[in-house]
Amino acid sequence: MLFKLNPQTTKKLRRFREIKRGYYSFVILMTIIVVSLFGELLINNRALVVSYEGELYFPTYTDFRPGTDFGFDYSYETNYRDLKRRFEEEGQGNWVLLPLVPYSPNENHSVTGIYKADPPTAELQHYLGTDTTSRDILARLFYGTRIALFFSLGFLGAVYAIGISVGSAMGYIGGWFDLLFQRIIEIWSNIPFLYMVIIIFSVIPAAYAISTRIVILLVVMVLFSWTSMTYYMRTETYKQKARDYVAAARIIGASNTRIIFHHVLPNTLATMVTFMPFTIVSAITAVTALDFLGFGLPPPTPSLGELLKQGTENLRTAPWIVISAFTTLVVLLTLVTFIGEAVRESFDPKKFTVYK
Amino acid sequence: MKVLNPEGTTMINKVFAKLVLMGLMGLLAACGGETESTTTSAPVPEGTPSGSEQAQQFYAANPEFFSFKTPADVPTDLVWENGSHLPEIGSPNAKKGGVQYEAMQDYPRTLRLVGPDSNGAFRNWILDNVAVKLAHRHPDNFDFYPGLATEWALSEETRTVYMKLDPDARWSDGEPVTADDYFFMFFFNRSEHIVAPWYNNWYSTQYTNISKYDDYTISLTMPEMDPDILYNALEHTPSPEHFYAEFGPDYVERYQWRFVPTTGAYYVKDEDIVKGRSVTLTRDTNWWAKDKKFWKNRYNADQIYISVVRDSAKMFEAFKIGDLDMFGLSLAEYWYDKLPDSDPDVQNGYIHKSVFYNQRPRPTWGLWMNTSRALLENQDIRLGINYASNWDLVIERYFRGDFQRMRTPHDGFVEFSHPTLRARPFDIGKAQEHFAAAGFTQRGPDGILMNAEGQKLSFTLTSGAEPLAPVLTILKEEALKAGLDLRIEMLDGSAAFKKVQEKQHDIYFGAFGAFLEMYPRFWETYHSDNAYDDAFLEDGSVNPDRQIKVQTNNLESMAIYELDQLIEQYDASSDKQEMIELGHRMMEMHHDYASFVPAYVQSFYRVGHWRWVKFPEGFNHKHSDTSGELFVHWIDTELKEETLAARRSGQTFEPQINVYDQFAEEL
Repeated sequence: MLFKLNPQTTKKLRRFREIKRGYYSFVILMTIIVVSLFGELLINNRALVVSYEGELYFPTYTDFRPGTDFGFDYSYETNYRDLKRRFEEEGQGNWVLLPLVPYSPNENHSVTGIYKADPPTAELQHYLGTDTTSRDILARLFYGTRIALFFSLGFLGAVYAIGISVGSAMGYIGGWFDLLFQRIIEIWSNIPFLYMVIIIFSVIPAAYAISTRIVILLVVMVLFSWTSMTYYMRTETYKQKARDYVAAARIIGASNTRIIFHHVLPNTLATMVTFMPFTIVSAITAVTALDFLGFGLPPPTPSLGELLKQGTENLRTAPWIVISAFTTLVVLLTLVTFIGEAVRESFDPKKFTVYK
Repeated sequence: MKVLNPEGTTMINKVFAKLVLMGLMGLLAACGGETESTTTSAPVPEGTPSGSEQAQQFYAANPEFFSFKTPADVPTDLVWENGSHLPEIGSPNAKKGGVQYEAMQDYPRTLRLVGPDSNGAFRNWILDNVAVKLAHRHPDNFDFYPGLATEWALSEETRTVYMKLDPDARWSDGEPVTADDYFFMFFFNRSEHIVAPWYNNWYSTQYTNISKYDDYTISLTMPEMDPDILYNALEHTPSPEHFYAEFGPDYVERYQWRFVPTTGAYYVKDEDIVKGRSVTLTRDTNWWAKDKKFWKNRYNADQIYISVVRDSAKMFEAFKIGDLDMFGLSLAEYWYDKLPDSDPDVQNGYIHKSVFYNQRPRPTWGLWMNTSRALLENQDIRLGINYASNWDLVIERYFRGDFQRMRTPHDGFVEFSHPTLRARPFDIGKAQEHFAAAGFTQRGPDGILMNAEGQKLSFTLTSGAEPLAPVLTILKEEALKAGLDLRIEMLDGSAAFKKVQEKQHDIYFGAFGAFLEMYPRFWETYHSDNAYDDAFLEDGSVNPDRQIKVQTNNLESMAIYELDQLIEQYDASSDKQEMIELGHRMMEMHHDYASFVPAYVQSFYRVGHWRWVKFPEGFNHKHSDTSGELFVHWIDTELKEETLAARRSGQTFEPQINVYDQFAEEL
């Protein structure tokens, strides 16, 4: 671990656990993240287990299996729902175990034979209904949320890595380096973020796979939002650097690396941690806004913004779309904000400087 | 006017792009509100020649093109036509009066009719659907009926069309429309000041002479004698010489917000231009053509109030509460879901739903494959893509069976359309056969076909038609069944079109708008001149050093030597039967080449309109493009009051859901 937990930090963590609202939010969010890691086992059109002619198959994480593998006459991916139906009709002891929601987020599965938004039905396992092209909303919501969450975590990591390095360097080195970077950041931070992301992302060729394009979008977004963190880090480092303990460490003969990593950085932890939830919130909001405007993740990637857009366009005829998307977004942002509040409160030094 | 402006052809895309862009503006900048008025410009410095003085100099410098003759020079053996055999267009039941409420997605960026930003959707209101041209195609018979010209005659030997102008014709500011305005039209459209290279080129190359015999007699000479020569000559609106007195290098800014006097029934008053919010058109009660046979009982509303409503969902809501009179319901989701027949307003007879089947060339929706790209140069791959595109499913499931599968990109040209060719059906087996023939035999772990080198069968599918993105996602899922991977790239309309104009695409989903013309064009889209620089050597073999030519409409990079010969023969031909045969042969070649997957055609338009908007018996005319295009409808103010009162009191009327299929074609 980068930072050894000192008693101060443990105290803060204990304090965090005491703030129930934030703590439970944290637990819930972590659960969501962990569950979403194994999402393919819950929401997927590939079966969990297929027992066919005495052999067991586990198609979830493997290569695709053509229909011919299971006695269909087509060479494209097996439709496991059809397979299940067929096995049940044949009654020859073959069986299929489907996930809870047997739909993939990109699959058009129409209830009525027409691709349109259909209301929720438990019978067909479209628990939140379908979107305007008959794709399962729960599946799209789930994978959309997962992408948004991991996207924002990636965003957080990247922004922090750059922000902390540059900010600390500015504060610690100071002098012309500080001046130069201040000016660069001033100029850079005046570039309108959303516009630039839209413009740059629109010229990225679509020849790349969707996952690559998501990473590119992430890079572009980081490129235009790393600046905000630097200023806090710079101030914080300046403050710490001027403290006696740093001078003491230097007199003892500690190297710069040691001072930065063992003395300065651990003491700026409060700043870093406090901003984390807000960075995540802003990343989720930004990527949702971009998708809403149609400039974000390439179709048919499931996304909250795309669902919200569909929802607002069909407010009257298909309210279930906007309800699911909106609720998810609100819940997600509320959880993160609660965590943020709790973190801020538990790391607030004032708590520990009250004289009785 | 027969102006196949490269921008105009992408109007469909542009409108969509605007939808997206304006939504963005609204959200990000919270813009709106009035901008500074720029109607007044700095005075022109003294000593600057006026527009008409410049024009006179131009005529003098180009005596070959601009001829001044006497009435005696008009040949005497001409056969004059005046369209008098054609039926009236307006309905005798029409009533004048009322205000028509309309919405536009985007405020016009200029009131100019040419130059930067002028080619937007608003132009319909001040030019395309309103202005009177020399003569127009009759919307039922295809023959010409008189507008600014009362009579015209064609001299085949000299490729010249003679026209007698209507001395009654007036500009909306009261000035008479004379031969000088047609001369000025050429000066104006060939001037570099208008910043419209396409117009400069068209007016310089498509005509060789204009002659004035007296103030009300002119002739136009064309370089080629083609069967549609009258169209090139007659579909012109002149340019008002007196209005462009301050014409000069600053034309674009100076005339940005000045309403150009029109020959049509509606004009715009200065005070009715509310920037960013609305434009109101006012009916000229003394309009010169108001009692003319083909113009009476049309253009009935006293005013047309067009306000900005930035997105179509809101526009629909505005229509639903009665703030807008009409709303296009061609999309299935509007017709079936948002305004179903069971809707109370429909059931109570307040809102009428009408479907009208029309006949005209259809926009060419389809997948355009760039055959200059790796893999796509292989015919087997292209055939495979044809068989792997499940348009039938899209039409049946997404468009709910309302649209038809397009046969060839030249549907709707009557005898010029191919009688037997059909688009290839979705067939996984055949697709895989063709892909296998091209070396793609193995499916990878994701189900996508690979060749021996491990290359995936994967293409980028670019489009700017954002509202149609669902169609592409359905195609993608279906193509995967045949082992074909389509990567969807949804760009905004202008970015997408820029990409295909630079020939950077693999496969493009989009359409060119089609004009009401007698026969299809081939040169623009299929001739090798528009695919490569020097595509072929002297002997017809492929030039190994050829370079791709950008900024043309040959989106498939088609370059077939024999096809070039046929196109040239077709363009030079003046024999209709020969052209039909050549056309069919070219369509067959194009079909065999398989670089285009025909998508769908919409053979009707659907509209919802409030009870007070009345249409003639039979609703509209055969070749009409939209319900409002010909202005044959009228607003019945008494009915409006009655309907609104009835709605408040709960009184109901007979529901009206009408299908007008008298012009439905069997497809």
